[in-house]
Amino acid sequence: MDIQEPKVGVYICHCGQNIAPKVDVEKVVDFAAGLPHVTVARHYKFMCSDPGQDHIIKDVNESGVNRVVVASCSPRMHERTFRNACAKAGLNPYFFQMANIREGSSWVTEDTAWATLKARDLVAAAVARVAGHRALTTRRIGVNKSVLVIGGGIAGMQAALTAAEAGFKVSLVERDTSIGGHMAKFDKTFPTLDCAACIGTPKMVEVSQNPNIKLYTHSLVKDISGFMGNYKVTILKKPRYVLDGECTGCGECAKVCPVSVTSDWDEGLSQRKAIYRKFPQAVPGTFCIDKLDRAPCTMACPAGVNIQGYVQLISQGKSDEALRIIRERLPLPGVLGRVCPHPCEDKCRRNEVDSAVAIRAIKRFAADSASAIPFPLPKVDRKEKVAIIGSGPAGLAAACFLRQQGFGTTIFESSKHLGGMLRTGIPDYRLPPEVLDREIGFILDLGVEVRTEVCFGEDMTLDSLRAEGFSAVFLAIGAQAGAGLALEGEGCKGIIDAVQFLKDVNLGQKVELGERVAVIGGGNVAIDAARVAMRLGAKDVTIIYRRTVEEMPAYKEEIQAAIDEGIKISYLTQPVKLMNGDGCVAGIDCVKTCLGEPDASGRRRPEPVQGSEHVIQTDTIITAVGQRVEAPWADKEPELVWTRRGTIEVDNDTLQTSIPWVFSAGDVATGPATVVEAVGGARRAAEAIKRFIENPDHPLLEKKTAGVSPEGNWKPFSKHLEPEARALAQHITPESAVQGFAEVEKVFDPETARQEAGRCLNCGICSECMECVRVCERAAIDHSMQAEEVQEEVGAIILATGFKTYDPTPLGQYGYGRFPEVYTSLQFERLNNATGPTSGNILTKDGRVPGRVAIIHCVGSRDKKHKAYCSRVCCMYSMKFAHLVREKTGAEVFEYYIDIRSPGKNYEEFYNRVQEEGVHFIRGRVAEITDIPDNPKDQGRLTVVAENSLNRQILRTPVDMVILSTGLTPADGTHELSRMVGVSTDRDGWFNELHAKLAPVSSASTGIYLAGCCQGPKDIPDTVAQASAAAGEALALLSKGWVSTLAETSRVDPDLCAGCMMCVQVCPYSAIEFNHEKRVAEVNDALCQGCGSCSAACPSGAAGVDHFLDRQVFAEIRALLSG
Amino acid sequence: MEQTTQQTDLVKTEQTDFDKEFHPNIVALVCNWCTYTAADLAGVTRLKYPAEIRMIRLMCTGMIDPRFIVESFLRGADGVFIGGCHPGDCHYINGNLKARLRIGGLKALLQGMGIEPQRLALHWIGASEGTEFQKQVKDFVEGIRELGPSGFGVYDSI
Repeated sequence: MDIQEPKVGVYICHCGQNIAPKVDVEKVVDFAAGLPHVTVARHYKFMCSDPGQDHIIKDVNESGVNRVVVASCSPRMHERTFRNACAKAGLNPYFFQMANIREGSSWVTEDTAWATLKARDLVAAAVARVAGHRALTTRRIGVNKSVLVIGGGIAGMQAALTAAEAGFKVSLVERDTSIGGHMAKFDKTFPTLDCAACIGTPKMVEVSQNPNIKLYTHSLVKDISGFMGNYKVTILKKPRYVLDGECTGCGECAKVCPVSVTSDWDEGLSQRKAIYRKFPQAVPGTFCIDKLDRAPCTMACPAGVNIQGYVQLISQGKSDEALRIIRERLPLPGVLGRVCPHPCEDKCRRNEVDSAVAIRAIKRFAADSASAIPFPLPKVDRKEKVAIIGSGPAGLAAACFLRQQGFGTTIFESSKHLGGMLRTGIPDYRLPPEVLDREIGFILDLGVEVRTEVCFGEDMTLDSLRAEGFSAVFLAIGAQAGAGLALEGEGCKGIIDAVQFLKDVNLGQKVELGERVAVIGGGNVAIDAARVAMRLGAKDVTIIYRRTVEEMPAYKEEIQAAIDEGIKISYLTQPVKLMNGDGCVAGIDCVKTCLGEPDASGRRRPEPVQGSEHVIQTDTIITAVGQRVEAPWADKEPELVWTRRGTIEVDNDTLQTSIPWVFSAGDVATGPATVVEAVGGARRAAEAIKRFIENPDHPLLEKKTAGVSPEGNWKPFSKHLEPEARALAQHITPESAVQGFAEVEKVFDPETARQEAGRCLNCGICSECMECVRVCERAAIDHSMQAEEVQEEVGAIILATGFKTYDPTPLGQYGYGRFPEVYTSLQFERLNNATGPTSGNILTKDGRVPGRVAIIHCVGSRDKKHKAYCSRVCCMYSMKFAHLVREKTGAEVFEYYIDIRSPGKNYEEFYNRVQEEGVHFIRGRVAEITDIPDNPKDQGRLTVVAENSLNRQILRTPVDMVILSTGLTPADGTHELSRMVGVSTDRDGWFNELHAKLAPVSSASTGIYLAGCCQGPKDIPDTVAQASAAAGEALALLSKGWVSTLAETSRVDPDLCAGCMMCVQVCPYSAIEFNHEKRVAEVNDALCQGCGSCSAACPSGAAGVDHFLDRQVFAEIRALLSG
Repeated sequence: MEQTTQQTDLVKTEQTDFDKEFHPNIVALVCNWCTYTAADLAGVTRLKYPAEIRMIRLMCTGMIDPRFIVESFLRGADGVFIGGCHPGDCHYINGNLKARLRIGGLKALLQGMGIEPQRLALHWIGASEGTEFQKQVKDFVEGIRELGPSGFGVYDSI
């Protein structure tokens, strides 16, 4: 047909009086008759009528017309009619073109001559275009007979039920933990005052029990691809952490959960637990745990202790449980509760409000106050044994972790007592030996074997341990030797190494000190040595440090305690030479320094100040300038690789050394570091050792823990949070402290500990304290649950995502958020609900029954500064509120309205009823709500200021409670969904329907339908009606079983295609694929929507959209401009 | 040429002021979903606007090949008016944004060829904005009238 000589029939429609008088149709016909290819030109009164169409059919059949142009109304009106007429005549319907001379000319042009001229040009263009038309065909594609409903409110439930009842499979996706939507929050519905729960919950149950409905709650639609009839949907199921089907909804978990958060279900009017169910009738009834990222404190802990967990348990007074949590990662809680440098507290978000929670002190409280509970014994006893060399924190922790796994563990210790540096390096006033003994005792009680006074390298070697049957060795010998000063005069009498000094004192050996003691160094060891020297009776103790207090590595509280105890610190002072007196120390030659550029450690390098040389007189010098590893046996184990820093080289994650069966952690592997780092290292090493023993050939690392986003997803907190002072542990006075070695810091009393723990912001919401797991008899709780992606294939999609209410905070004059007695409408719904915070009693926040209540209409609605539209439901629900307030409290109610909008069955009657009930209706927008009373007797009340616009009277009404009738806005995420499904939104964000009058539940994309408030504000009856209608539209599509492909799709001419792939990039539907074999682009006509992006982008003219081919458009342009 | 004579005759016999002022040739390329619908709405609402504008319906502004515009000018158009959906409202997700990119580039090119950039306009006119369509067309036609003939219609002089 394409190559046939075009014979065009032109038909000019009068459209009754709509075209004919304005456009001189006869002149147009005469003109058309003279155009190239035109064989027939006629005019007729109504071309769309049957006789009109018959002209076309007759001319095609009898006069050989093979192209048709009808000049009439818009093609959006009757293009289909005339295409069908062509088809009826046996002509391909795409050999038709319409000239819009009604909307395009007669209706919009003043002048008759101009209207005629324009009509002529439009006809000429259509004739020129139609000559180049091609015959096009469509093809049928089967549809997937299932429906996706997004949103589980009343609209989504109704749509799902309608489709399911008709026998179609439905996937209902709801992002909340329960279906039910807003309606489930209401107590009564207008105008009938039906109980919302009574009519809503049966629907919810019906949805959950319908075998055709697959319910996805707590889930999101992540991606939609495909086309009408054949969509592929990716659903993200967020983890509930509670097993559906196992949970019986008994609620025991919530009773023991220590974490309370503001309830969004109760609109912030109540608190709920981290494990929760929105409301008793929730569907599904399964509980859910609100879990965000691990709290920053836990993330910061080198040992990975679940800090939020034990802090929460302490806030509940559960010391034993708290200790259990600490011990999972930290076998020495009493020790760490005293000496930990608490990096966790630096990361505590409470710092942003006031100051960090006193985490270390809380841990100490837990350790000190918990009853003497032993570690749980290993469940199995394994035959493999691990040798642990060294009994410092790393050795003890590794022994504990490995023994708990069931391994035989033997600690080898060179000295007489266990504890390593904990015993010899930390003075008793910071860590009493009883605490250490007690905690070591708990570890040994697990069945850890101990051999003391055996020295690695002398009494045993790796070979001998292997021979003894050990499967792995854990080297944790620490860094026990003091580093030297390398100064002139070192080695003379009166100069003591701090590490040795502390060890001697701790082990009860006699140490001789002069009256004046100088300690060189700025670390914790220096402070410890100074404070111990003070306690040993030194009269004058000076710490000499070459930088300022800012750079000092010692902990700030330790420095302060030292100063309190009378120790002097000489900052910016560098020793140059140790002076000898009569065979013993007489003083130190020092020089003042100033700070220069930062050095390799990041600290500013001290530089000597010329001419500042001076002498510090002293009798004893204690050097505390660092520690180093001492391993005289190193030569005997040549396979063990050491770093240049003199530490054992280990893998960062597994802590394996160069000898596969030897692992190492603690100071010997890291260099001098903290106790908590040693314990953390021991934990990782223990896990690696376990894997090594179980299967030495497998990688020792299961997987790296996922990196945390720099901005952790943590619970937000209000900027207006009340500051609460951080609890400080009591200390004994410095005067009595220096008298002996009694512990300086006291433990919290239980009340202080609880209060301090209560300051925790619960950053991660769920604290993973595992109390819920403990009490759940069905073992339904699984804290390790992960998000899951599910694929569904559906033929139609119903959007039912609903609304949210307008946040009235920007309307500052109404005082929402400032005055406690100003409520939003949803808050009032909860206040009035039997399952709400007050069990349905309408009470003020301080528990009074309100005497006067103001209800303000149109908050956020019908206001150009906010939302210009009417939210439709506010008048009616406001009057419902008025009725309920009158009924429940007898209070006087004032309704401030602009206009009352009560169109709907029995709505106006309800308005009349409420008026008759004595509610005051005041026509006028409220100007302001103030807490400054006009009359002193109204102190504590709110005054509503408004003008009654019916009598121009300014009213100042004191009330006890104000309800803001907030408008409706699209639900969060509507915009993102709109992009995903390709359904546009209007300027207010509501989904656009296909036609305001004739297709209110269809979208412009066939296969996607709209139900309920996502299309615009509406009440429950309209929502339900629309939902059923949307389901009906979807079923109409699916029942037919097939859809037509578009005829107007793209194609790429393989002969012209240069293979540049521009079209592949611009196609918004991924409908173009590149054929790598043929090096050309190919269009999938099932996916192509005919937008023509490819056609415009193609540089070689290979891509084109059928029916909008370049030559067709060019013909139209040329004809229009040749007139 | 024959047609042009016909046209003049037609209008002359209707006693209009056809010859008194400059009547520009204006081509409008509009998308089916937004601006064409707005134009229909203008028609249904009987909003009057200058008759000099001749509209071509396309499915999306994203299918406008820059050659359509150049061809229009070469064929004697004094102005080209393009109307599409507001950003975010495109029926085909983002065709209008592609059009914006192309037309932005083309404007610079046209200027180099001696065509004032004001002769090419791109407007976002939503389906419900009949009055907006009327206003934009009026303003555009008036603007072109003030600019005078483009003189670029090379085919006319051949």
